[in-house]
Amino acid sequence: MENQEQQASAADALTQAIANKLEYLSTLQAAVQHGDDRQVYELLDQVRYYQEVKKTRSTRAVNHLAELVDNIHPQISHYLSDNLIDYLGHIYPFFYYEEYTTGLFHIYFGNWWDRRLFGDLDVINVKFEFDEKEYQKLKDSFALEAHGQRLNTAQIESISGQSEQLQKLVDAQTTRDNQKAELREQLKENSGKSSMPWDSGKLKDERQGIIDQLTKLADEDEKALNAHKTIKENDDRILVLSKEDTILNYEKQSIRDAFDDFEHFEAHNASLYADYLNSLLGKSEGEVTVDD
Amino acid sequence: MINENDPSTLTTSGRLLNYNEAIKDGLETGLRFTKLMDQLIKTTDPDELVSAATELADFTLDSDYVTFPHQYSNADYYLLFMSRMLELHDQGKNVILQSRDHHEELTQQLTPLGDRGTFNFRVETSENGGVYYRERATGQSLFYLNLERKMFRFNSHALTQLFIIDLHETVPAETVKTSVQILVDFARYLKEDYGYSVDFNILDAANRQNYAVRSTDLPAGVVDRLFVMAAKEDYMLTNGVNGNGAEIALEHGVVVDIFNNQLEGQPEWVLTVHDDDQKISWFDVLLKYPFMRDWYLENLTDLEISSDPLIFG
Repeated sequence: MENQEQQASAADALTQAIANKLEYLSTLQAAVQHGDDRQVYELLDQVRYYQEVKKTRSTRAVNHLAELVDNIHPQISHYLSDNLIDYLGHIYPFFYYEEYTTGLFHIYFGNWWDRRLFGDLDVINVKFEFDEKEYQKLKDSFALEAHGQRLNTAQIESISGQSEQLQKLVDAQTTRDNQKAELREQLKENSGKSSMPWDSGKLKDERQGIIDQLTKLADEDEKALNAHKTIKENDDRILVLSKEDTILNYEKQSIRDAFDDFEHFEAHNASLYADYLNSLLGKSEGEVTVDD
Repeated sequence: MINENDPSTLTTSGRLLNYNEAIKDGLETGLRFTKLMDQLIKTTDPDELVSAATELADFTLDSDYVTFPHQYSNADYYLLFMSRMLELHDQGKNVILQSRDHHEELTQQLTPLGDRGTFNFRVETSENGGVYYRERATGQSLFYLNLERKMFRFNSHALTQLFIIDLHETVPAETVKTSVQILVDFARYLKEDYGYSVDFNILDAANRQNYAVRSTDLPAGVVDRLFVMAAKEDYMLTNGVNGNGAEIALEHGVVVDIFNNQLEGQPEWVLTVHDDDQKISWFDVLLKYPFMRDWYLENLTDLEISSDPLIFG
């Protein structure tokens, strides 16, 4: 008797649990059918929705119903991306998205030559997942701008300086050749001098001094010989750095055009979820919304 | 037996008759020549002009028995032909033919360019035949012309060396443009009126023209350099429409693309210049934009536009 009652109440509880899931799924299905992206987002994360959009704490316990659709996130993301990317296009006109596999999006910054892959777009959570390294470069570059510098200015200057030094070495070849000839002459003279015992120390020192100078010149000759190759390599390095500076400059300009400064850009990113859902709310105003 | 081909078997009168015939032939050739010269110099019919020039191009005036001590070279008939062709298209004033005082040799100047360039034709001695239109001081052969084969080929290397490099400092771009236009017009008449196969090369303003660059597999750094150089002049090099190259929008709707024309297999990098009126060629871009010129010249070993390899190989 008791067993039967227990069994019956267990069945009721399970039926209710299943009914909850069915209801969740059918509400989600209806939302998709009606193109109500706002409700889809609400259903995907009710806690966040109530916190950030309704600005109230959800009274209900966390129900984990959203987990039901975890394994179709790529499809949901693919579906939701249409309107989201449309919206982002107005606010972040410099970002370009590429759906590299269903529901997953790469973000590219700009449409200039060799624009950077800047991270991923998390459609389900309405969030930019920026590549940390690239993002940091942009941030640093904004900071350096205050000092009138570009990210790679210092490095480019140091490499150019090295190339200049090398070029000087190359240009001074004739001078060195003359010096060497003179030193060799001196060396010959030195050896020819009859060495009186009291002079021998002095002559030896003089000889060593000449040899040291010749060695130094030979070292410089060697460097000059390889200079052309190094200068060419330096040019390539400078090109890579200038290119990066040019790209960062375009990125900064894009952000300034859209947000005035980097701080406003970051602030927008932080409130993106709430801003987007509020914009959807604004769109669906006047429509009958099912408020459970 | 009398063998007419073997003088030793002929009688004296037979030999004289043969001699006489040979002189008649030689004179006939001379008469034919004067007729062709008349035609070349005087005709107002472009068809007759072309046929006279074609025949004179490899005309042998001398024979064993009759030689003419005063002769122009075949190359000179080409100059005459070019002048006359322009004249028949109301552009006679655009070139000036000059004849040397003491011997028979013609040279030509392009009127806008004046004495900054003196031109003549140089006969190709190989069996290909044809002639090269050459600037005498620099030896640059700007184009190749073959009347028999109806071929006309511009040479990007020579055009660049002469007009974009050598004369850059001293001759205004506008003057270069009008001078080169005379050559383009000459080629155009041959193409449009006589079905010549013409390669306008870097002077081709048609949008569909793909200018193939020398390094078919262009090093990435070359495009990077344009990106950096353009940015300094406030022009932005963007990703190309086709996704495998770059694009730069210049003034007045002129767009230059540089891209790999082959989606698979061996790469083949090319340049294109687009403008709505199809009036702008790569050469014009080089004349007008110093940063494009600098980029092209600094990377000439990779970027030089290919000319017909069979002619300018």
